[in-house]
Amino acid sequence: MKRILVACGNGIATSTVVATKIREKCEEAGISVTVTQCKLLEVEAKADDYDLLVTTGKFTGGSVKCPTVGAMSLLTGINEEATLNEILSYLK
Amino acid sequence: MQVIYSIFNTILDAGAVVMLPIIITIIGLIFGIKLSKAFRSGLTIGIGFAGINLVINLMKDNIGPAAKAMVENFGINLDIVDVGWGSIAAVTWSSPIIAILIFAILATNIIMLVLNATETLDVDIWNYHHMAIVGIMVYFVTKSVLLGIFATVLMAIITFKLSDWTAPLVEDYFGIPGVSLPTMSALASVIIAYPLNWIIDKIPGINKLDFEIKDAKKYLGIFGEPSMMGLILGMIVGILAKYSVANILSLGVNMAAVMILIPKMTALFMEGLMPISESAKKFCQEKFKNRKFLIGLDAAVVVGNPDVITTSLIVIPLTVIMAAILPGNRVLPFADLAVVTFRVAMVVAMTRGNLFKNIIIGLVTTAALLYCGTITSPVLTQIATSVGLDFGGGLITSFAATSLAVSFLVYEAFINNPIIWVPVLLIVFAIIWVGVVKYQKKRNI
Repeated sequence: MKRILVACGNGIATSTVVATKIREKCEEAGISVTVTQCKLLEVEAKADDYDLLVTTGKFTGGSVKCPTVGAMSLLTGINEEATLNEILSYLK
Repeated sequence: MQVIYSIFNTILDAGAVVMLPIIITIIGLIFGIKLSKAFRSGLTIGIGFAGINLVINLMKDNIGPAAKAMVENFGINLDIVDVGWGSIAAVTWSSPIIAILIFAILATNIIMLVLNATETLDVDIWNYHHMAIVGIMVYFVTKSVLLGIFATVLMAIITFKLSDWTAPLVEDYFGIPGVSLPTMSALASVIIAYPLNWIIDKIPGINKLDFEIKDAKKYLGIFGEPSMMGLILGMIVGILAKYSVANILSLGVNMAAVMILIPKMTALFMEGLMPISESAKKFCQEKFKNRKFLIGLDAAVVVGNPDVITTSLIVIPLTVIMAAILPGNRVLPFADLAVVTFRVAMVVAMTRGNLFKNIIIGLVTTAALLYCGTITSPVLTQIATSVGLDFGGGLITSFAATSLAVSFLVYEAFINNPIIWVPVLLIVFAIIWVGVVKYQKKRNI
């Protein structure tokens, strides 16, 4: 079971969109994951317990150990597939 | 006829938890979503409302009496509780006129795009609640659906124009091209930040000031963690209420719980609305596929900027202190301290990250939130009570809705002599519009 942390400005709006899309994609690909949402402000305190960090904006706010993917495309719908595949590549 | 009437009444009597699934299912069907999916969306949102109601009750039982005791003990008159934008958004989505307002906003956006009056394609249906709540409050006060729709449409026009105008800032400062941020919770700060920034730049000496705080996150990071903020604030209120040690600790943990649980419940709203947003996005992107436009996104995409975070971490504790000492303020800042980043994001972009200016302007922005919140709280509380979010006679507010400067101005114009103030507002807005267009033309030559 891989653990993914999805962070956005308030841990509610855009992260829910991204988290839902990641869950659906992983389900299709047959990868079991737990997706947790949080605020960008909390990332540094939380990220160490996760395998992958996905942010909905530009995250330049600090150092985390796990790989990080920016997922703006899942909000705009442009190049959505490429980003989802990048996320999957970290989970295999 | 009698049957339809009694069905309608039964639903109305059952309150928001029943109204919401029905309204959202209907909106979903209009957007072309399958019945089963639309109903699931509606039910999810109904569940979200029930959840928010639970948390509000937890809050009411805990902070309500403590806030009263605080007034009696020390005369700290902070009896209007900030229940968070999510709770207010829940109230907004439960309004009987929400469906009309959603389509009015979407229609405004499409018409403006067709007329080339805006660059922003805003199908972030979720954030429509910022524009809708103003119409709902106007409708509640004036009892006129038409005035309510007008107020919301005006909010929509202002929102789309402000996001057009700030799109260059979003591109230059935050480095995100091709998008704009039609999120009023962030945009409203612009009308305070722009003139203030201009004035500060004109004051010799002051305009050169700037400083840096290294490791702000290391020392102030605690103000960015909602659970810690809830715990600390809860305990401070408990101490000021002269509670016993056991009760102080219990208030702290319960308030930490509120801080964490409100966003979780609000997320259910977002989850339920997602299929509707997605289908609106597909519809509009196909309609306008030959046209270049800015995609409207939630301002959440820019608040990860380190300057925004540093500014917020300093502004958050200062806002709490300010709330206690500002004469006339009655708002106890609480749940929305977690979203101060949104309120200062545009300020930071406008000053290009000058920390001195960010803190000054940021504090003026939060002071405005406190005052606008104090003034508009009674009506907001009545609306919340009418859809079943009851705070037991206490007053509520948030850092959203009409606490935002722009929303406040539009709301006040519509409820006090709209015949005079609405045209005044329109003229001022038109002058700004013309001014911005001239400025942009000059810059492009």
